[in-house]
Amino acid sequence: MMIPIQDFLLLGALRFGLGVIGVILRRNVLIVLMSIELMLNAANLTLVAFGRARHDPHAHAFAFLVMAVAAAEAAVGLAIVVGIFRNRRSVNLDELTLMKH
Amino acid sequence: MLLLQPAVQARLVDVSELSTFSGARIAFWIIAAIVLLGALATITRKNPIAAVMSLVATFFGLAATYALLSAHFLAALQVLVYAGAIMVLFIFVVMVLNRDEVEPIAVRGAFTKAVGVAAVGYLVVKLGYQLSTVLAPMPGPPPPEFGTVAQVGNILFTDYLFAFEMVSVLLLIAVIAAVVVARAHKREESPEEPQT
Repeated sequence: MMIPIQDFLLLGALRFGLGVIGVILRRNVLIVLMSIELMLNAANLTLVAFGRARHDPHAHAFAFLVMAVAAAEAAVGLAIVVGIFRNRRSVNLDELTLMKH
Repeated sequence: MLLLQPAVQARLVDVSELSTFSGARIAFWIIAAIVLLGALATITRKNPIAAVMSLVATFFGLAATYALLSAHFLAALQVLVYAGAIMVLFIFVVMVLNRDEVEPIAVRGAFTKAVGVAAVGYLVVKLGYQLSTVLAPMPGPPPPEFGTVAQVGNILFTDYLFAFEMVSVLLLIAVIAAVVVARAHKREESPEEPQT
């Protein structure tokens, strides 16, 4: 009954990588927000894995706070998406170039 | 759950033991496969609803991973907050703005994106290689109260009391901001002419 901590860290790294690739490649704002959630989750997993390795429950408290911030971020992010959609009728990031120049 | 067994004397695992595949490790990689395939489906699906559903699968897989790490409180919270609250929010917004993408992965700026993806791939491969070579010994089973609601709550309400209270303020501000930003304004431009 031993799962090496490296397995958890590797899983976190792979998940974070998938999140970054999602942010880079996808043009739908909703998918980009989901990829950001993926990355936050991967960071949380890494925190908890190190907490388990060091028998340190402070990591759990920290992960809890990260979850709360992620929830706030999702709420505000989705509200902004709805607001943009109201004005521009689009959720495509490439079309949102108003502040580019 | 086996991890709940009372603490036995902490021991350092022999490095050679880590290369063997125990039943627990196979179970972990099955869960990890669910997590990774779900994440892959999330960033590749054309239909946003399918992406959200894959994301729910990954969140449940991650909750199982937390349970394997003896983080029982966080495992419950993961299901409640992510698979419950945040996903409902996402599904609502997807339903409101549901339209399939014509071109899910843009061709514009393909070179920059290829460089970005290659950098991420290099980072992950390098990290995996380092993790496979530098083996930190893993301590034995944690104490039985590790990761329970009582223990984490105790820490949250003593060491992190200020941060905990600030989180409630942050959530209040986020709720007000979400209402203000997403609310229908009185003077609304017609969709044909986007404002300047």
